Amino acid sequence: MLAYFFRRILLTIPTFVALMFATFVAIRLVPGDPVEVRVGEHGMSPERLAMFRHELGLDLPVWKQFLSYVWQLLHGDFGTSLSTQQKVLTEFLTLFPATLELSFFALMFALLIGLPTGVIAAVRRGSYFDQALMSLATIGYSMPIFWWGLLLIMFVAVNLGLTPVSGRIDLIQYYFEPVTGFMTIDALLSDQPGAFLDALHHLVLPAVVLGTVPLAVIARMTRSSMLEVLSEDYVRTARAKGLSPLRVIGLHALRNALLPVVTVIGLQTSALLAGAVLTETIFSWPGVGKWLIDSISRRDYPALQGGVMLVSTVVILVNVMVDLLYGAINPRILHGR
Amino acid sequence: MGADLTTVALAPDDAAAIILSPPSPSLAFWAAFRENKGAVFGLWLLALVVAMALLAGFIAPHSPIEQFRDAVKAPPVWEAGGSWRYILGTDGAGRDMLSRIIYGARVSLFIGLSVMSVSFVIGGALGLISAMSGAVADVAITRVMDLIMAVPSLVLAILVVAILGPSLTNTIVAVTIAYLPRYVRLMRASALGELNKDYVTAARVVGVGWLRLMMITILPNCLAPLIVQAALGVSDAILEAAALGFLGLGAQPPTPEWGSMLADSREFIRSNPWIVTFPGLAILITVVAINLTGDGLRDALDPKMRRS
Repeated sequence: MLAYFFRRILLTIPTFVALMFATFVAIRLVPGDPVEVRVGEHGMSPERLAMFRHELGLDLPVWKQFLSYVWQLLHGDFGTSLSTQQKVLTEFLTLFPATLELSFFALMFALLIGLPTGVIAAVRRGSYFDQALMSLATIGYSMPIFWWGLLLIMFVAVNLGLTPVSGRIDLIQYYFEPVTGFMTIDALLSDQPGAFLDALHHLVLPAVVLGTVPLAVIARMTRSSMLEVLSEDYVRTARAKGLSPLRVIGLHALRNALLPVVTVIGLQTSALLAGAVLTETIFSWPGVGKWLIDSISRRDYPALQGGVMLVSTVVILVNVMVDLLYGAINPRILHGR
Repeated sequence: MGADLTTVALAPDDAAAIILSPPSPSLAFWAAFRENKGAVFGLWLLALVVAMALLAGFIAPHSPIEQFRDAVKAPPVWEAGGSWRYILGTDGAGRDMLSRIIYGARVSLFIGLSVMSVSFVIGGALGLISAMSGAVADVAITRVMDLIMAVPSLVLAILVVAILGPSLTNTIVAVTIAYLPRYVRLMRASALGELNKDYVTAARVVGVGWLRLMMITILPNCLAPLIVQAALGVSDAILEAAALGFLGLGAQPPTPEWGSMLADSREFIRSNPWIVTFPGLAILITVVAINLTGDGLRDALDPKMRRS
């Protein structure tokens, strides 16, 4: 078991090296003078240019530059943002909780609706419910979520006035220092009445928008995985023993049907982060996704470089954790190899 | 079919004849495809979008980029103040929405098909090479693909566009890079599966050359899953390109690209909802059509992959 875990973790090292190399090359491909790209200043005097070139180490041989880049990364130095002059890692860590909170609620939304409806659709296969759910899933899966977000803002927030249009909390009414960076938790900690509900209120639309595609994927996956399991012998045996349908479905079938669903949830991390870019842009949600887009429009290439590096690191780590979790709940993986 | 079965039961000779002449593959495929009502519906929808794209010059009432200064933000025909001149209204610059949406089909399908064909060819080739050549090439290709998979597709596309600059061509390049790994992995996996089969061993024993083994013996047997991936990949590419357009990183105005039509539509949410509604609806309908068709294609091409 340990050997499996160890090997899986070792396997990420080449990917990390490749990632470092790719981000190292990427910033060199930006058109323009490499010093100006990094300093964000144009039309510098030759002396100033030479000074920065030396300061940034751009006068060294390329392989030395790469090694020092790797060295910096390994010491947690992901560069300095041009627009804020802050360390990219600091900025990322301040903003990441917002993205994490949004993704968490989106995933909860997807799971809480996707799992039960997927199971019901499988049990009542061919019924109107099943057909309707699968049609909706196709639509959800095909949804351009930026448009979906605009539509929901238009109908739910503007026309019906049911939710706020953007942001994480009503900043005029509530103010407290961030402790964890998670607005819902901070609101609870702040002891301001109504703050927690207001934070939740702000989360509804973005979470629904970001959760739509995962919801469709999870509902489809749960249904097909459940259908497969329901035709297994052990389910028939359980039924033949006279166990109640609820027990057969809930205990015998669902547990086994969930295995592939766990993998799919893991694969959704990457999709969630990509979706967060769009969702955060639409809802002015101050997270990592919006930050990446903003750094492009500000031509803040160091922030973009460090940001991509950090986002990808998150994805790689989550994938490793999902694999480890999968190994833990499915012993066949450990013993098979 | 019922009639055939009785014939089989009554006259064994005919049964032999039937077994000896199976229906042609394309007929069998069509029969299987037609069973899936959703897929047929999707195909009709897709045909409509394709027709719109091909005939854009004939059916669009106006030029997609002409700005009617006298009719800025005109409402669609069914709303108060709407006219038949601009059936779906006009946008913030006075351009006819309907014409832009019709021409937009051209742009989106072009992006989808370009991404699909380039990644199909390059991804397929890389996958085959990865499966059939030595460890070094295999490891190198697999690692690079792992790396691309580690970056969320949209973030990767954003990075590529940030470096190359926003344009329609760079959108295609960016989305192609982001979706390449799927094709490579799929091709590699199915080629590896085929490599162990007897017919490949037989071909090797006979002394078939490496290239012939790759292109003529193995490739045709790996195509089915790749074709399905390609069909579904068109819709993903369209969505991704539209997202880039929405972020202002894709096709640049005045190109009638559906995503970029939504780019600055946020300001019209309160006042002119049609500017927000129609481009997205066009994206959704096109993507649903392709996904339904792709699902049908998968079920018909490979019953094993059928999601029951």
